[in-house]
Amino acid sequence: MDTLYLRRRLANALALILSSAATLLGLAFLAWILWATLRQGIAALDLKLFTRITADGEQGGLANAMVGSLIINLIGIAIATPIGVLAGTWLAEYARRTRLGETIRFLNDILLSAPSIVMGLFVYTIIVLPSTALTHGNTSFSGFAGGVALALIALPVIVRTTDEMLRLVPSTLREAALSLGVPQWKLTSQILLRAARSGIVTGVLLALARISGETAPLLFTAFGNNFMTLDPLDKMSSLPQVIYQYANDPGEAMHAMAWAGAFVVTLFVLLLSLASRLLFARKVSHD
Amino acid sequence: MTSRSMHAAALALAPSMAPPVAEPKLKVRDLKFHYDGFHALKNIRMDIAEHQVTAIIGPSGCGKSTLLRTFNRIYAIYPGLKASGSIELDGENVLDPRYSLNRLRSKVGMVFQKPVPFPMTIFENVAYGIRHHERLSKAEMETRVEQALRRAALWDEVKDKLKHNALGLSGGQQQRLCIARAIALKPEVLLLDEPTSALDPIATGRIEQLIEELKSQFTIVIVTHNMQQAARVSDQTAFMYLGELVEFGATERIFTKPSRKQTEDYITGRFG
Amino acid sequence: MSAIPALVAPEQRATRDAHHDRLFAGLLKACALLVLAALLGAAFATLWGGREAFHTFGWHFLVNPAWDPGNQDYGALVPVIGTLATSFIALLMAVPVSFGIALYLSEVAPRWLRTPVAAAIELLAGVPSIIYGMWGLFIFAPFFAEHIKPWLTNYLGNKPDDGHPSWVAAHVPFVGKLFASDYPFGASILTAGIVLAVMIIPFISSVMREVFQTVPTRLKESAYALGSSTWEVAWDIVLPYTRSAVIGGIFLGLGRALGETMAVTFVLGNAMELSASLLDPGASIASTIANQFSEAVGLQKSALMALAFLLFVVTFFVLLIARLMLRRLASREGR
Repeated sequence: MDTLYLRRRLANALALILSSAATLLGLAFLAWILWATLRQGIAALDLKLFTRITADGEQGGLANAMVGSLIINLIGIAIATPIGVLAGTWLAEYARRTRLGETIRFLNDILLSAPSIVMGLFVYTIIVLPSTALTHGNTSFSGFAGGVALALIALPVIVRTTDEMLRLVPSTLREAALSLGVPQWKLTSQILLRAARSGIVTGVLLALARISGETAPLLFTAFGNNFMTLDPLDKMSSLPQVIYQYANDPGEAMHAMAWAGAFVVTLFVLLLSLASRLLFARKVSHD
Repeated sequence: MTSRSMHAAALALAPSMAPPVAEPKLKVRDLKFHYDGFHALKNIRMDIAEHQVTAIIGPSGCGKSTLLRTFNRIYAIYPGLKASGSIELDGENVLDPRYSLNRLRSKVGMVFQKPVPFPMTIFENVAYGIRHHERLSKAEMETRVEQALRRAALWDEVKDKLKHNALGLSGGQQQRLCIARAIALKPEVLLLDEPTSALDPIATGRIEQLIEELKSQFTIVIVTHNMQQAARVSDQTAFMYLGELVEFGATERIFTKPSRKQTEDYITGRFG
Repeated sequence: MSAIPALVAPEQRATRDAHHDRLFAGLLKACALLVLAALLGAAFATLWGGREAFHTFGWHFLVNPAWDPGNQDYGALVPVIGTLATSFIALLMAVPVSFGIALYLSEVAPRWLRTPVAAAIELLAGVPSIIYGMWGLFIFAPFFAEHIKPWLTNYLGNKPDDGHPSWVAAHVPFVGKLFASDYPFGASILTAGIVLAVMIIPFISSVMREVFQTVPTRLKESAYALGSSTWEVAWDIVLPYTRSAVIGGIFLGLGRALGETMAVTFVLGNAMELSASLLDPGASIASTIANQFSEAVGLQKSALMALAFLLFVVTFFVLLIARLMLRRLASREGR
């Protein structure tokens, strides 16, 4: 009997030790990566990063990439948010138990994890190639095409959060509005979306955090531009794409700038995630 | 013609007759209700009197909320729920698909168990429903909102914060706001589905007081699982069990001399 | 308001409302269908782009190990094997570690520690993949080359520095070849696999943890009341209850790993040659496309598109299975 208990105790202790070790391992890698980014990034931080452009090479900075990132991300979110919110609303309010609704919800979840490089090639095929034909020759990469590619990545995130947030709204609220004789479309747009507002905004912020770090889909859509441009129809650089470019460059100075860029991107993404978490936490406790 | 005009016509034609019994506001005949194959309401027959409070009581699952929800066809938003029979409001069957839902909802208001203020200002909450049915000037709207809030005994507490978000009110205040929102549409019938079960005793008391005041203007049907509340506020009581209307009559009689054994058992707490 | 308009108005309003309701519902449905369109579009666009390659090479494309722009001969074998190898190595390492973390966070850790540690792991999940790439290229790969690789080639490879292969390398099949390498740098399939593993650990562990938390407390409490230890509750109660969802989570991680570009491109070495060793550089579908697409023309470009189509199809099915398994648990919960 005693040996049975002893064996069980040992197995339990072993499992506990191993699971704690696994957690420590995970946290260790997190610390290693963040620490490296922090250290290398801060070491390379320089005012010229924000004021000079990549065309100046080693003496240059990342200004055009940062501006480009802002523009492309904004285009992406501007396209994905209205479509995503409306689609998520349809799933939650009009198609909650229908076969089509279930199918689209399912496919949306798959789109959520689809390879982003394939999405980039998709936009290449439907936007870059046709516009190249129109301009007879020079491949028409554009910030806009990059924005569309990012929109395709942000879309399923926003659809899913909108759907889930709306489903959390108690059905009594719907019944209360309908019992006043209010039509379905007013109920949905004026009451339900307002009630789920902060959850939906959180979803948009999370989608923004996700696309801010994306590189692969921008390689064949926005392509890159060593000069500063604000025109979305022009080729445009973005921070992740320049990081990729500089990391592959043989020069040490370029590597340093890549780290600085990596630091900025990581900081931005982490702050966004934190902000959205705080925003949502506030909404929940208010209830 | 409304029941009132019929009544007046009857009096005009035969002034020597004894005043006839008032036409019931709601006449329920052979009402059946099904969902998912489950027969939830069986052949309900009842008359709801005007300007009185009728309470529907019974154990969990007896169908009292289901019955209440047939009166304004709120069940229609869910698929697979079917009602048959007739519910006549002033002589017209509201279950008839030709009876416009819009019209029904403006005549029959509902207040739910959990207070559900809209995510808007207090003023907007009350004005919202009105806006959909009537076009009023700013001054007219303000008067209507004030009237509704006064009748719901909430005006004094919120008159200085009409532009504040309604979610900041206490539970009892929110429920009174929901009542104000419903009566702002000037309905003829008010349906209350366990309106105080989510509230503390003091808030409950205020709402019961309110119900007493409101019945002079509305016909009120209240579902409650609290027998004492039914005894306190209602004029007529209906006792339901397993989807059937077991007994219906004056509250005083139901609670002191019930004619059916099932009613007596429920009231004395032998089952619940 | 006079009496007659008041009677007519509700009917007009009802028709107008119904009309608006239909328009609104139609708009919403159109947006939802766009999601469908995006998926179908991605599939067709890559298929269309790859048509020349598929037409030229046929089924042979899938098993051809060559990638020769000079002779216009392209085959998917090297990138496909690279993708599969890196992903499976990543899963092999990530799954036990993720399980350990999920177990720790849901059963073992003291309550006050759970939220901060879980939040820290979630933070890791949000770090963009290019950061993993940078860390992999500049920090981990050199570290690997200096400290881990020599150990592996000397103790497990069949071409060690001192010329005497170890017992394991000589007697256990495959091991010797897997760990032998002349390549001087840190980039290799194994390196990429490790970086990928670190990347998907937070993802898989948070899915697992969410899944573990759906187990009803009563169920666990009854087991504890019978005297079970923490480990026994986890192994005998929690895991069987959540089995299909755990598998779903693993497949989700696999789907992620298969499609990953940036974390892998920097440390894979981009060698379009098949090698038996895990310590030699290789190529994955995503890294090949990332490296070659900009300069590619004609048949090469089509071959790259064909690779993208293959990747999309494989990922689609992996994710399909993942979601189906996750839904099985959800339906049991009545969600």
